[in-house]
Amino acid sequence: MKANLLGKKIAFYVLIIIVWQGIDSAEIWPDNIFPSPIEVGEDLLYGISDGSLFYGIATSMWRLVIGLSIAIGGGMLLGIFMARVETVNQTIGSLVLGLQSIPSVAWVPLAILWFGLSDSGIIFVTAIGAIFAVTINTYTGVKNIDPSFIEAARNMGAKGGQLITTILIPAAFPYMISGFKQGWAFAWRGVIGAELLFSFLGLGFLLNVGRQLNDVSQVIAMMLVIMGIGILIDGFVFKKLEDKVMTKWGLR
Amino acid sequence: MGKIEAKNIIKYFQHDGKPLKAIGGVNLTVDDGEFVCIVGPSGCGKSTFLRILAGLEKPDDGEVLLDGKKLVNTGPDRIMVFQEGALFPWLTVEDNVEYGLKVAGIPENERHDISKRYLDMMQLSQFANSYTYQLSTGMKQRVAIARALVMDPDVLLMDEPFAALDSQTRDLLLVEMQMIWQKTKKTIIFVTHNVPEAAVLGSRVAVFSHRPSVVKKSLDIDYKRPRVAEDENLGKFEKEILAALRHQGPK
Repeated sequence: MKANLLGKKIAFYVLIIIVWQGIDSAEIWPDNIFPSPIEVGEDLLYGISDGSLFYGIATSMWRLVIGLSIAIGGGMLLGIFMARVETVNQTIGSLVLGLQSIPSVAWVPLAILWFGLSDSGIIFVTAIGAIFAVTINTYTGVKNIDPSFIEAARNMGAKGGQLITTILIPAAFPYMISGFKQGWAFAWRGVIGAELLFSFLGLGFLLNVGRQLNDVSQVIAMMLVIMGIGILIDGFVFKKLEDKVMTKWGLR
Repeated sequence: MGKIEAKNIIKYFQHDGKPLKAIGGVNLTVDDGEFVCIVGPSGCGKSTFLRILAGLEKPDDGEVLLDGKKLVNTGPDRIMVFQEGALFPWLTVEDNVEYGLKVAGIPENERHDISKRYLDMMQLSQFANSYTYQLSTGMKQRVAIARALVMDPDVLLMDEPFAALDSQTRDLLLVEMQMIWQKTKKTIIFVTHNVPEAAVLGSRVAVFSHRPSVVKKSLDIDYKRPRVAEDENLGKFEKEILAALRHQGPK
């Protein structure tokens, strides 16, 4: 079953490449508009050999990790307070819903004005794009905790920070994971979008360089790299984490 | 020590936006080492009364004393066993049992020694590293009882802990519960709607009236232990409890 699924996937992608090559060979469009898969592959190899691709990936990933960490830490804290303190929910809660509707690239102008063309500005965009998804999922998770868990813990003497770390976070964790997943997706969009507009290193920058040089195959190569990293992190980090938590919590 | 006194407990519920008097002045004194079962018609506030004793809810009037001292909050001197167990699914059985000790800052090796003792007592040793979803309902309640006993509370408060069990498992736990009580000499207050269960477990049964509830009858069950549910000699106690329950129409 599993091998069958993998086979289907491989066949599908091979088919795409064949069709792609076929369209290219038909020479409907010139090469500087529609490159062949081979040209894109060559571009990727070139990026690998001169190290620029790895440097771009490392820069983007580093910004992503910092931004997402801030978003996860801040979002969890905010979500827990919203769920536990009614006044916080009634005030900040409505603001969070509003802020979440702002696409992360819309923060770029403000980030440039506040932080200049710097790493901090890009990290700010990444974090702010992701934080509210984490907040809202954490809030939902904490709200859905079986009240008897909290009562039992209080009864056994847990209070304050202990209650948060030993009960609220682990009990809400299955929801928080969804928040992390959404947060990561928003953060990844945010970091690439910000790099495009900041034009300050990273994969988004390389993508933009491709456009400036009229190098279509570099543009497509970078898009493939961005997609590939997305698939890898989704599948290997978050899916694994989710499976582990769901199994341990007895939810599947 | 674990003498608990509830004095004139009054509690209102909100019902369709209007206050409804659920507990109408309950007076109940439970001596140290007593096993008292509370029975009453559904909706009479017996579970709420237990939660007030645990300090998880505040009475609208009246007070609760433990060994003469007024109680204001919840605390590990009175541990509650919840109807569904309230076990933490993200922890193993052993970690669940050790939770309160960990919160209290007891070092790990000491925690292990204590939890091991109670895991043995509740015949859970082989499940120490299991997660709660891997356990049957009966096993879960054993864990919940072990988790409460580990805290060495003065008073054990049990809120219909056997309500969801099949009858064989329940019969087994009824016997075990008596043995635990005799071994640990804890004060136990046990809420149930099951009359035979109350007659088997209680050294005394307090019958609550329909709401606003008061203690309608307090009946000593003076009979040898361990008792089993099918013992016909318990029948006359059950009849007395049922009679006390019946002599009250809904108001």
